[in-house]
Amino acid sequence: MSKEMVINGETFHASEEQTLLENLEQQGIQTEYQCRDGHCGACQCQLISGSVEYIIEPLAYVRKNHILTCCSKAKSAIELVIPEAKLPLKLTG
Amino acid sequence: MNKYTTFSKVQNNALTEPMFFGNPVNVARYDQQKFEIFEKLIEKQLSFFWRPEEVDVSRDRVDFQDLPEHEQHIFISNLKYQTLLDSIQGRSPNVALLPLVSLPELETWIETWAFSETIHSRSYTHIIRNLFNNPSDVFDDIVNNEEILKRADDIAGYYDDLITATQFYQLHGEGDYTHSDGRVETITIRALKRKVYLCMNSVNALEAIRFYVSFACSFAFAERDLLEGNAKIIKLIARDEALHLNATQHILNLWRDGADDPEMAEIAKECEQEAIDIFMRAAQQEKDWAEYLFKDGSMIGLNKDILCQYVEYIANVRMQAIGFKPPFATKSNPIPWINNWLVSDNVQVAPQESEISSYLVGQINSDMDADDLEDFEL
Repeated sequence: MSKEMVINGETFHASEEQTLLENLEQQGIQTEYQCRDGHCGACQCQLISGSVEYIIEPLAYVRKNHILTCCSKAKSAIELVIPEAKLPLKLTG
Repeated sequence: MNKYTTFSKVQNNALTEPMFFGNPVNVARYDQQKFEIFEKLIEKQLSFFWRPEEVDVSRDRVDFQDLPEHEQHIFISNLKYQTLLDSIQGRSPNVALLPLVSLPELETWIETWAFSETIHSRSYTHIIRNLFNNPSDVFDDIVNNEEILKRADDIAGYYDDLITATQFYQLHGEGDYTHSDGRVETITIRALKRKVYLCMNSVNALEAIRFYVSFACSFAFAERDLLEGNAKIIKLIARDEALHLNATQHILNLWRDGADDPEMAEIAKECEQEAIDIFMRAAQQEKDWAEYLFKDGSMIGLNKDILCQYVEYIANVRMQAIGFKPPFATKSNPIPWINNWLVSDNVQVAPQESEISSYLVGQINSDMDADDLEDFEL
């Protein structure tokens, strides 16, 4: 099963089995991460729409309408904004 | 604020106390928490427990001796700086913050935090003892080296200022304190609160910026398969530091968002510029330090400019995390490889394998789903 995932306006299909960060990596999208364990907060980004489910409850201070990509999975179609993300040509065209 | 006592007999409800400057903590109970995050951080920190001796650093000696002189300078200066930072962090949170704290979970977090810093200090001795016949040559230089001392003042200054003012308040209550240089300062609760706010920003800058700049140098050697024992230790230290900076970010954000003491929310607003200046000064000092590190030459993968860009990049990230605007133009991480070293790989591996970076202690999986009982019949 996959869910539609929009990042900075570009769409792809995200696997529900994997975390959002793993999905981003699979698409070749470079975003910031550090601990991959929900405690450093480096992967925090803005959630425009949709909802996520945490496989590890975040210890980092997560601001309103923000999520951590390293420890969450898509529960619905979601849209994210990650200003510093580097998107590959296959998505941006 | 009530004066400090080791066991207050006032029947108080810690759930309604502020983080600092309320009643002193009396009963150390953790069944209920005002801020659950600190309890979770304690558990995480305990699960991260490690000992320096678990990491074999014996190969590092050969690597170190083979380094060209300017790279030896980079490595050893960096290690001295790390030793200084953890010397401060191993004691100061306890001395400065424990007399002021009012929540049992936060009190224990502070103790757990400082304890883990003492492990870091012990690990520098482990590394230095292995590299040098006479460790005193390295340790003694820490208090002689001007480049290190320049920054030590700024780091220790906010702690010392808070500690002195707290001591005065504990003895005399609010009033005028005459410093040894004749300067008179009025100590009030509000003045103490300002000091604790600025101190917390300075500590966050230390943990979230200064430490990471030094980690970058340690990992740059290991990226070339050099001094890997050292890098394994620094990887463990970095994993702990991520928790520590998370805690100070939480404290700062709770104050800022008005979720704790309302007066602290006012102070956060009032002192915002001063706090930003602390971060900017820390970033500048780290850049000056980069200049000193690379004064005799760069190393493969890292030079002064790249390290300065990393200072700007990490300062942006950390300042945003506590609600400040990113002050630098640098948008992307100039050394993305560092992230591979900062992953907290919580994988269960046999603890006797001393080279693994983490293992969980006494954990069981107790997750239970209704589906697990699907084919269960009575």
